[in-house]
Amino acid sequence: MRLQAALLAAACVSPVAAIFSDEVNHIDFHHALLGAPSPDSTFFLKPSSASNASLLYTLSDKSILGAVNPRDGALVWRHNISRSASPAGGAGLLRGLDGNNAVVGAAGDYISSWGAQDGKLIWDQQFDGNTVADIELLELEDATATSDTRDTLALISGKSFGSVRRFDGDSGAVKWEYIDESGDIPFQVSSSPSEVFYISLQSGILKSSKIKVTALDPITGRQTGQQVLNTEGDITGPESVLFVGANTASPLIIWTDKAHKSLKINVIGSKQISSLAIDNTSGEEIRQVTVHAPHKLNSLPHFLVHYKTGSGAWAEVYHVDLKSAAVNKAYQLPYLQGQSVIATSSIDANVYFTRVADSEVVVVSSASHGIIGRWNVDASSPDYAQAAVAEVVAKGKSVAVRAVVLRDSGDWQLIRNGQIEWTRPEALIEAVAAIWVEAEEKEDLAHELEVEGHDSIHGAYIHRVKRHVRDLQHLPDWLKELPQRIVSSVLSDEVTNLDSFGVAKPVVVATRNGRVYSLDTGRQGSVMWSVQASEQAWDVKDITARPGQVIIDLSDGSYVSINASTGETFTQPPLEATNVQSIANFVVSDGSSLVRLGAVGIREDGSPVTPFNDITGFLVTTSANGRVLGWIESDNKTPVWEFVPPSGQRVVKATARPAHDPVASIGKVLGNRSVLYKYLSTNLVLVTAVNEKDHVAGFYLLDGVSGKVLHSATQAGVDPTQPISSVMSENWFAYSFFGDAIGESSAKGYQLVISELYESSIANDRGPLDAAGNYSSLHGSGTDSLPLPHVVSQSFMIAEPISHMIVTQTRQGITTRQLVCTLPSSNSIVGIPRPVLDPRRPVDRDPTSAEAEEGLFRYAPFLDFDGKWYLTHARDVAGIKDVLSRPTLLESTSLVLAYGGDIFGTRATPSQAFDVLGKSFSKLQLVLTVVALTGGVIFLAPVARKKQVNLLWKAT
Amino acid sequence: MSALPPPPPPQWVVALNSPMPRPSKAANSIPDPPGFTSSNTRGGKQVSLHNPTEMHHDTDRHQRQQQDKQQATRPEETDTLKLKKAWEIAMAPSKQLPMQAIMMYMSGNTLQIFSIMMVLMLFKGPIQGLINTNAAFAKYETPTTKARLVGVKAVYVLMQLLLFALGVWKVNGMGLLPTTRSDWLAWESERQPLERAFFAFK
Repeated sequence: MRLQAALLAAACVSPVAAIFSDEVNHIDFHHALLGAPSPDSTFFLKPSSASNASLLYTLSDKSILGAVNPRDGALVWRHNISRSASPAGGAGLLRGLDGNNAVVGAAGDYISSWGAQDGKLIWDQQFDGNTVADIELLELEDATATSDTRDTLALISGKSFGSVRRFDGDSGAVKWEYIDESGDIPFQVSSSPSEVFYISLQSGILKSSKIKVTALDPITGRQTGQQVLNTEGDITGPESVLFVGANTASPLIIWTDKAHKSLKINVIGSKQISSLAIDNTSGEEIRQVTVHAPHKLNSLPHFLVHYKTGSGAWAEVYHVDLKSAAVNKAYQLPYLQGQSVIATSSIDANVYFTRVADSEVVVVSSASHGIIGRWNVDASSPDYAQAAVAEVVAKGKSVAVRAVVLRDSGDWQLIRNGQIEWTRPEALIEAVAAIWVEAEEKEDLAHELEVEGHDSIHGAYIHRVKRHVRDLQHLPDWLKELPQRIVSSVLSDEVTNLDSFGVAKPVVVATRNGRVYSLDTGRQGSVMWSVQASEQAWDVKDITARPGQVIIDLSDGSYVSINASTGETFTQPPLEATNVQSIANFVVSDGSSLVRLGAVGIREDGSPVTPFNDITGFLVTTSANGRVLGWIESDNKTPVWEFVPPSGQRVVKATARPAHDPVASIGKVLGNRSVLYKYLSTNLVLVTAVNEKDHVAGFYLLDGVSGKVLHSATQAGVDPTQPISSVMSENWFAYSFFGDAIGESSAKGYQLVISELYESSIANDRGPLDAAGNYSSLHGSGTDSLPLPHVVSQSFMIAEPISHMIVTQTRQGITTRQLVCTLPSSNSIVGIPRPVLDPRRPVDRDPTSAEAEEGLFRYAPFLDFDGKWYLTHARDVAGIKDVLSRPTLLESTSLVLAYGGDIFGTRATPSQAFDVLGKSFSKLQLVLTVVALTGGVIFLAPVARKKQVNLLWKAT
Repeated sequence: MSALPPPPPPQWVVALNSPMPRPSKAANSIPDPPGFTSSNTRGGKQVSLHNPTEMHHDTDRHQRQQQDKQQATRPEETDTLKLKKAWEIAMAPSKQLPMQAIMMYMSGNTLQIFSIMMVLMLFKGPIQGLINTNAAFAKYETPTTKARLVGVKAVYVLMQLLLFALGVWKVNGMGLLPTTRSDWLAWESERQPLERAFFAFK
C-alpha cells in the first residue's frame, strides 16, 4: 500500500511526459500508407531537372497522391486529393515527365498540379459535376516553353460533351479549349511531336463502338483533321481498347478482337489498321493482354505485348516503321510458368523491358532479343503480381535495374538487381480490426503449480524439490547462455530490453479485403507474416486474442481462427445462417487479467442470437433503430428493459467502461485529507443520442442491469454532422461535440465535456449505502437500492474536432490516465493528462492552498493542446478510425495502437516511465565504478593498516 | 702506571640516574599489558617510586578520615539532601520543554532530514528516560526514602510524558499520524455489484 502511495505521489508530481527525440522509432512506429497504387499512375521520375536520384510517384485507389523514396520505401510527401473531389470519382490519374518539376494528378472532378520535389500545390481546378477522363503532359518543344513546367492537356467528360483543355503549367490558366458536342464518349488524349489527338468512342449499332480520332493544333486548339476507325465488332466500350499510346513518337491505338486471335494496331493519324495474328502456342486461353510502350517523344517506336494465360505468360516485342506506319514483330520473350509482369523504361532513345517472373528478373533491350541483365530472385508470392514499374541504369555494357512489383493486395515490393529491398504493406490502409497477440501460456508450469497448491504441505514440498531437481537439467544451457546475457544486458540500453515486460507484443491486423497481417511492434511494426484469410472482402465484427491464436468473427456467424505465430488459418463456417450486427464478449476482470466466459452474436434488432444460459448476468445491446436494450440470460426474444431516448432523438453511440479498468483508489483525497468517494460501477452505460432536426444531443448515464437513468445531460446547438465521441473510465466520462452558440453565454466551437461521478457531494460520506459491501440494482428496497451519483462536470473549448477517444489502460490503474483523442483535422493523436481535465478546478479564482495541494489549478475555458501531449509528435498520422490501448507488465506503460488509415503504435507513459531505468543509466558505468572501488580498497587496505601500526609504535 | 680514567658507568646506571623521558602522546594510547595497573591512571596523588611503603600508609590514612566525617552527619539530613537531588532530576525534563517546543515549531512541518532527525531525538529522550526511571533514582533510594520517592518518580514520568506529547504533537503536525479518513482509504474496499452486465456495442 505504501508503495502504491509512493507511486501515486510520483504520478502526481509530473503528469506531463513528452516523447524524447531518441525514443522516436524506438518506442513508436508508423506506417505512412498510400493505398493500393494504380499501375497506370505509378512511375519513377526525377523530381527536377537538376537532380540525379529519382522518386517513385503514385496515385492510389484511395486517391492519395504520394512520392516514395525508392532507396528505403519511406514516404516523402503525400496528399489526399479525394478530399476536394466529388465522391463519385473513378480511378485517379497521375502524370509526370522527366525534366518537369511538377506532377499532375486528377481524381473525379478535380485536377491539381504538385511540386515534384516538395509536394507543394502549384495549381488546381475543379469542374463541378464533370469528371476528368484523361490527362497528359505536353512534351512539345515549342517556343513558349520557357519554364521547367510543362503544360497539361486534360480531357473533361461531361454529361453530353467532351472537352479538351490545355492548362498553363505554372498558373493552371486555360490556354485553349476544344469542345466536342457530338455525344461521343470522351476517351483519351494523346500527343505526337506536332499534334494533339482527342480520341473518343462513337457509338455504333449493336453496342459496338467506333474509335474517332480528332487531331488538334497544340498551339491554338483548332481541329486539323478527323478520322473514324472502322472497329465495329471488336470494341464495345472503353475497356476493350488495350492501349492508346501517349507522348510517343508514333502514338498507337491497340486493341484485339474478342477471341484474342489477332492484335489490331492503328498509328494515330492514319486510317490504316494493321492486324497481326496472335501466335498462341501455350495451349491455354489468353486471359489478359497488356501493352507496354515508352512514354517519351524521343524513344524508339517499339512496344511490347504481354499475354497472360491462367498459369503462365509470354511477351512479344514489335517495331513500328515510322515512314510506312507498318508494324513488325521483332522477337518474343519465352513462355514462363507462374507470374510474370513487365515494366518499360527508357534511357534517351533506348527502350528497355524488365520482366519480373517468379524466380528471375530479366532486362532486355527493345532493339534485340539479347538478355542484357539477369538476376535470380525469389519474387514468388501467393499475392498475385499485378504490374511493375522499373528504372534501368546503364553502366557501360551492363545494366542495373530497380523494379517495383505491385501486388493484388496493394503491397509493393522493390527489387534492386535481384535483391528484395523493401516492401510497403499498403493493404494495411484498410485495416478494420486489430488486436495484440496473447502469448501462449506455459501450460506445464501452471499445471505443476496447481498440483502443488492442492497437495498437502509435505507432499507439495517433495513435489517442488523433485521439480527443481528435474529443472537442473537446464542448468548447463543456462550457464552457457549466462555470459552472453550478462554482456548483452550490460552493453545494450535498458529501454531495449523491455520486451519481456510485454511492451513489444505482436499485433494482428485484419483488413477489409480479407487479408490478415502480423506486425512486430518491437521492430518498427515490420510485417512478420501476412495471409489472405478470405478470398473476398469480409465484414469483420469482432477480433479476440486467445493464447497463441486470434479469432476473427464475421457478420455471417462464421469465424476464422489464425495461429498467431505462423499465420495458419482455419475457417469455421457458421452453424446456422444469421446476420450478426455485433458480438457480445462475456469478459470479467480477474485482478490484472481478463477471463473470457463466452460470446454471443447480436442481431440487427439488438437481440442475442441464442440465449446465453451459461452466463449469469445481463446483456446490454443497441438496436439498429436507435434504442438500447437490456437482456437477461434465459430470454433472447423480449428485452427486460428498453431505453428509448426522448422525442426525436436517436441513439448513435453507447459506451461502457473497458473490461480492464482497475481502480487503484476508491476515493479522491482532498487537500484537507478528507475523502470524496468515487461512484464506481462496472455496469454503467453512457448513451449518446442525437436529434438531427433540432440539433440536440443527449448524453444519458444508464445502469446496465436495471436500465435506470442515473444522470443525463442535454446539449443544444450540436452539429450532428461533426464527430461526436464519448468515452468512459473509472468514475468519469467525457464527450466531445461541435456546439453552436445558441444563447448569450454559450460558446461556439468544439467542446470537450468531462464529468466525474461521486457517491456523495460531502467529503467522508459514502452515500446512502454507506459501508455496505454489495449493492443490487434490482432487489434493493428504499435505502439500499442503487443511489444516484453526485456529478461534477466541466467543459472545455478545444480547437479541433475529436473523432475518437479512448483512455490509456495500465496494469493496476495507479498511473494517471490519459485521454487519447484522435484529431482528424491535424492528422495527429493527442494524450490529454487527466489532471488537466479535472472538473473540480476552481473557476474564476486562484486555488486555495488545500486545492493547490490536490493539484488543482485555475480553470481556463480554452484547452490548448500542449505540444508535449502529442503521442504522434511530428508524425502525420492520417485516416485513423480506431485506437486501442492495453496494459503491459510495467505499471507506467500502456500500449497504444491506431489503425484505420495509417498504422501507428506507441507506448504511452502518462506519469513518465517511473519504473524503467532511462537511457542515461549505464550498467557498464555502474559495474566499472564498483570494480574501481573494490580495486582501490584492495590496494589501499595494506597501506592504511601499515600506517596505523606505525603510528602506534613510532614515538616521535 | 698512569691512572686510567674510570670506566663509563653501565647503561642501566645511566638510565637509573636520569629521569624518564616524557612519554609521547601516542604512547599514552598504548594499552597497558594485561595485569599491569599504572599508578598514574588510578588518579590520586603522584607518588615517587622510591618509597612505596610511604604511599600505602598515606592513602590508608586519607580513607579513614573520610569515613569518620560521613559517620558524623545525621541520616535525616542525608535523606532530605537525597530527596532534594531527586526532585532536581525529576524536574529536569521540564526545563527542556520550552526549548524543544520552540525548536519543533521553528523546524517546520516538512519531511526533511533535519526535522525528522530532531523528531527522532525528541522521541528518544523520553522513551529512554521512562525506561531508566528506576535507574535514575537508584542513587537516592534507601529504605527510608523509598516511600517518598514514589511521588518524585511520578512527576518525573509525567515530565517525560509531556516531552513525548510534544513529539506526538510535532508528528501530527507533520501529517504522519493516521488520524484522517484518507489514511484508512486503502483498507476500504470497492462495493461489489450483485448483478453483472455485459455489453455489445459497436
